Formats: sequence, structure tokens, C-alpha cells
Amino acid sequence: MQVNEKKISGVLVVEPLGARIDAATATDFKQKMNEWINTGNRRIVLNLAKVDFMDSSGLGAVISALKKIGNKGKIVICCIKETVMSLFHLTRMDRVFDIFSSEEEALKAFGEKV
Amino acid sequence: MIRMVIESRLENVSLIGGAVRGIAENLSIDSMGSYHLELCVVEAVTNVIKHAYHLEAGHSVELEILIQTDRLTFKVNDSGDSMDISKISSLQFDPSNVKTLPERGMGTFILKSLMDEVGYEIVKGRNVLTMSKSIKTRAPSA
Repeated sequence: MQVNEKKISGVLVVEPLGARIDAATATDFKQKMNEWINTGNRRIVLNLAKVDFMDSSGLGAVISALKKIGNKGKIVICCIKETVMSLFHLTRMDRVFDIFSSEEEALKAFGEKV
Repeated sequence: MIRMVIESRLENVSLIGGAVRGIAENLSIDSMGSYHLELCVVEAVTNVIKHAYHLEAGHSVELEILIQTDRLTFKVNDSGDSMDISKISSLQFDPSNVKTLPERGMGTFILKSLMDEVGYEIVKGRNVLTMSKSIKTRAPSA
């Protein structure tokens, strides 16, 4: 899947450009996240502004990234659509991830001036 | 009744999902309700491809949608390995402990949480998952 990536003061901002993170795209997404973590990225903002649909496979890929980064770093999420947020709420993953309404707020969580 | 059949490829699941969302929106179900219906059908169909057919292409996954004035019923059927959906009723993990977080196996929990009724049976050699949800639809025009 196409993903936009940019670095802002050492924080990697990842923005999936496809509207769906589902079983068909989750494996590719997970691989990309693994590559970024393996190459030393420890502070990651996952911007889901363009994601209209996520299922349990997509959520599992995001969780996998969180587990991979473990205590070595942090992944936060921003710009989740209300519908996709309901999946996080249903599965209680909204208690696991720090979720912000904007990329700016998410970057502030890492102490970055925007 | 609407009937759709796809080949057991994960890339086909979004076609089913889009159709379900379109039907829901056409029935004037709100965006959250439409998303939840699409999510449940997508989870069910994905489960068939992954677990009944073990990601093997070339098999058929059938979806039937029965539209009633106050209820939508979805039947997903396949000819693959049967599944046991009876055990999954909650997600057990500690939000403060990353190691306990589930990465898979959440699909059936989602179905059971969002749908009013979920049942699974084997009928004439085919596995049939039936899900239903009460809805409020637009009143028929005069």
C-alpha cells in the first residue's frame, strides 16, 4: 500500500494514502512498519486521516508495530475518522494507544515544537 | 434478497464491503451503522478466506443479504473447513502490558459485539454464518 512518510525533528510521521487497511493490505503495511522500526525509528506518528476503513487485520498490523517497538520507543495515532475510532473503542485499543485529533497535537506528545 | 459470490481472494473482500456499505447507505442507515455492517461482513468473509479456505484461491464465498423493513440479515456460506465461533466472546488483554495485546482473532468478537444475532451451522455440507441486525430504514414511498 502507498504510505507517505516524513521526518519532523526526529519523529517519523507515517500516513497511509489508501482508504482501507484491511486483510488485503495489512501484511504490506505491517512490513513497512517493521522496516521503519528496524531502521531505528523510535518515535512514530501514525496519521490515519485518509483511512476510511479498517478491520481487525488492519488493527492487528498497527498493534504488531506497537509490540515490535515495545519499550524502545512510542507509536501514537492521530486524525482517526469517527467510524474507524469506533473499532478502537469496541476492542478497547483506545486505552492502549495515545490518539490525537491532529498531527500537530501528536507531535507535541513527543515534545516537538510545531 | 441480494446474492453475491466472490472468489476466495482477499483483494475481493473490499468489493463485498463496498457493496454492503452502498446498500446500507441506500437504506438511509447512518454512516456509523453502515460502517459497522460493512465491518461485520468483511470480518466474516475474511474469516472464510483465511480459516475455511486457508488463503487458497479458487473457491467461492457466497453472501446473501435479506432486507426487511426492520432487519438486515447476512448469510456467508462456504464449502471449506468449518470453524468454531462459540468460544470467542471477549478480548482478554491488559491495556498497560503490550505483550498481552492480541494481533489476530478479533474478527469473531467484533461480529458478536456489533450484530444482534450471530449463528453458525452446517447445511448440506456448507458452512453458513448468519448475522442479523435490527435497523431503521427509510419508509417506502407512497
